[in-house]
Amino acid sequence: MTELAKPFDMSQPAISKHLKVLEHAGLISRGRDAQRRPCRIEAQPLGQACGWLENYRRFWEESFERLDTLLEEMKKKDKKGKKR
Amino acid sequence: MINTGTLEVTTPSDREIALTRVFDAPRQMVFDAFSKPELLKRWFGPRGWSLVVCEVDFRVGGGFRFVMRGPDGKDMGMRGVYREISAPERSVHMESFDDYPGESQVTAVFVERNGKTTMTATVLYPSQEIRDIVIQTGMEHGAAESYDKLAELLAEAA
Repeated sequence: MTELAKPFDMSQPAISKHLKVLEHAGLISRGRDAQRRPCRIEAQPLGQACGWLENYRRFWEESFERLDTLLEEMKKKDKKGKKR
Repeated sequence: MINTGTLEVTTPSDREIALTRVFDAPRQMVFDAFSKPELLKRWFGPRGWSLVVCEVDFRVGGGFRFVMRGPDGKDMGMRGVYREISAPERSVHMESFDDYPGESQVTAVFVERNGKTTMTATVLYPSQEIRDIVIQTGMEHGAAESYDKLAELLAEAA
């Protein structure tokens, strides 16, 4: 845990709390090795957790990209209208 | 393709999904694009989908009816009722899909800064289970589109 906490500006109890949440969600697993609690990333569930939001995001992003194009057209029309 | 921002998707709570996106246009224009049927028809739905029915009665207590048709010819219908409208800053509506149980509440907030508009839509589902089913379905469509793109790439390479 000391090793894991090193890169973060966080107390050890805070790191421990985060790890507990991740372990409870099945995203990491923890073993026991004398004084150490080595952590392992559970790649498959973590991939799934990232994947479901990523695909939902892509679904909407494609709509919004079409909206960007429409807004550009609307802005051009608006400018033309004002010139007249 | 003009792409002014990346869509952010977060889950503020177990029952919510929030979408945040910046558009390079004034707020009134973006608000219109979200509420006028003739404009909605031109963008609502991902690539390969079209809005074949788009009826909007944009006033508090008024309703809307959308039917989206997918690339496989399958229809996905949804309907809802407007609860609150403060043009061009905020609107709240209830919505439900023909094929899924439950009604969700959608709060859309539009903030303009330096000519750009940030839209945040927060969807509150009746339960975590229903929220996850809806996302799961979006995921299937997303996957189907990825396969389409892959097929296109393969065809080009051939």
